[in-house]
Amino acid sequence: MKNLWILTWYTLREAMARKVFIFFLIISVLVLIVTGLIFSLSSNISLGAAGATPFGNPITMVEMMIVSPLASLCLLLAIFSSSSFVPVMLEKGNIDLLLSKPVSRDQLLWGKYLGGILVVLLNITFLILGVWLIISIKFSFWDFYFLNIILSITFTFAVLYSLIVLFGVITKGSTLGMMIAYFIFIILSPLLFTAKDKFNAFIENKFLKDLIEAFYYIIPKTSELMGKVTVNLASGKAIEDYQPVLTSFAFLILTMGIAISIFRKKDF
Amino acid sequence: MSAIAIETTGLTKVYSSSLGKRKVEALSSLNLTIPAGSIFGFLGPNGAGKTTLVKLLLGIIFPTSGSAKILGGEINDYRVKSKIGYLPENHKYPAYLTGGEVLQFFGKLSGLDGLELEKKIDEMLELVQMTKWKKSKLKTYSKGMMQRLGLAQAMLNDPELIYLDEPTDGVDPIGRKEIRDILIELKNKHKTIFLNSHLLSEVEMITDRVGILNKGKLLREGTVKELTEKKEEYKISVEGSIESLPAEVQQDANFTNTGGGYYSFKVADTQDLNRILDLLRNNGIIIKEMVQQKNTLEEMFISLIKEAEGTADASRKENVK
Repeated sequence: MKNLWILTWYTLREAMARKVFIFFLIISVLVLIVTGLIFSLSSNISLGAAGATPFGNPITMVEMMIVSPLASLCLLLAIFSSSSFVPVMLEKGNIDLLLSKPVSRDQLLWGKYLGGILVVLLNITFLILGVWLIISIKFSFWDFYFLNIILSITFTFAVLYSLIVLFGVITKGSTLGMMIAYFIFIILSPLLFTAKDKFNAFIENKFLKDLIEAFYYIIPKTSELMGKVTVNLASGKAIEDYQPVLTSFAFLILTMGIAISIFRKKDF
Repeated sequence: MSAIAIETTGLTKVYSSSLGKRKVEALSSLNLTIPAGSIFGFLGPNGAGKTTLVKLLLGIIFPTSGSAKILGGEINDYRVKSKIGYLPENHKYPAYLTGGEVLQFFGKLSGLDGLELEKKIDEMLELVQMTKWKKSKLKTYSKGMMQRLGLAQAMLNDPELIYLDEPTDGVDPIGRKEIRDILIELKNKHKTIFLNSHLLSEVEMITDRVGILNKGKLLREGTVKELTEKKEEYKISVEGSIESLPAEVQQDANFTNTGGGYYSFKVADTQDLNRILDLLRNNGIIIKEMVQQKNTLEEMFISLIKEAEGTADASRKENVK
């Protein structure tokens, strides 16, 4: 357990040494400053007339409007930056040293995995907590449910990152894993969700229907995790459908299981 | 503490190409026993299988067949590595860390912590004369400094067995001498050192035993003395002149005047040696000094590798016929 923590901590150090995380941190700080300035300079903002929103409360909606694009940006940057954690670890001269220490291969890989997640968790927490504090102070409305989205965004990254880890172990490179993660996050997951949810009734070919259905259940549902699930969590409602969470979690476990199984037997 | 540091039995490693069509035997049925508390030098040309062996012993790669034990434990048990130190040939440390932080990271992974670790880091940095660079980022280090840091890292956990792959690579002559002194000091503390090096003169200076590997096969193994001795060649210093002896006596032993009153000669075996010494004495020659001739490790290494290559070529030609 101690080794796992050491490896996780040093992955965080590695991330902090990379400019992309600092870049996101700077963006977050700028957003917080701008948000703070807007709300402090506009003394007569009233959200009472906004009426009912999907989030239940208009203040939560404002918070979501600020956070949503930044959370997506954070995920895009995190995928880009964390994709090299495993390949760098597997570089000749680095992996030799790590494997010469009394650390199991499982611990090494889990350390890299958890370290990557910790980085995103800290970045997202900083941003969301900041936005939440500014708006809560301004409107004297403390919506603690909003903070739940830290979990849904981090979980979405954890699912995609497991894929990056797997392809990192197989190819010892970052490109393929990163491209597949982007493809799922930006194209495949939204497409499959839309195809299954909206166009299913219009597709007559049974084979095509089954194929879309199969793919839908296999591929992690990042679109729904960042969409419906996050909205549910932010508004303090119960998650309507646990299927996207559970199938994505199963994908994560399976992907990490395969990655560890390959890593255990691999020569370096 | 185990009396045997490393023991391999039929250890074999075959690398296959990605399609499995081409196979390369990097290590072939290696049987090797290295006693604890010794310095073992492992020599061989590039691609001989030296690094493959170290990687197998550290669990970085897995054997195709055979087995090995280190310090009495199985090589696939990662816990045994708490008693091991390793300096790889091309080590790569995170450039954003300082020297002290690198040691802290690897020290923690080796099970050290707190004040004990801090004390050990300072001690090791002092030993490799890197104390003033403790807080400098690695990107400012030279090759020699990286090597010193690598050595400190390998010794940090007070290991019983240390693998060093080209430890003096990139180090200046004074630094090399210092590293040699450190290794000798470690040996005096009953540590086992497994040394891979191309610098044969260095290996000759500090190792107790040497193994010579070529194309995955162990050609010879023994003490430096055993390997470098020319069993059939002697040098003598005499009172009187061998040239004054009858021609048939001179031709019998085939004496060569090497200057300064010294002569070298070759014998078939110990009986032959005694026969020639008797012959000299019977002819009034007084023997003042006699020494067995020696090769340098380098001479022996080159002739052995050439011999092995020659045998392999002949065998290949035979197979073609």
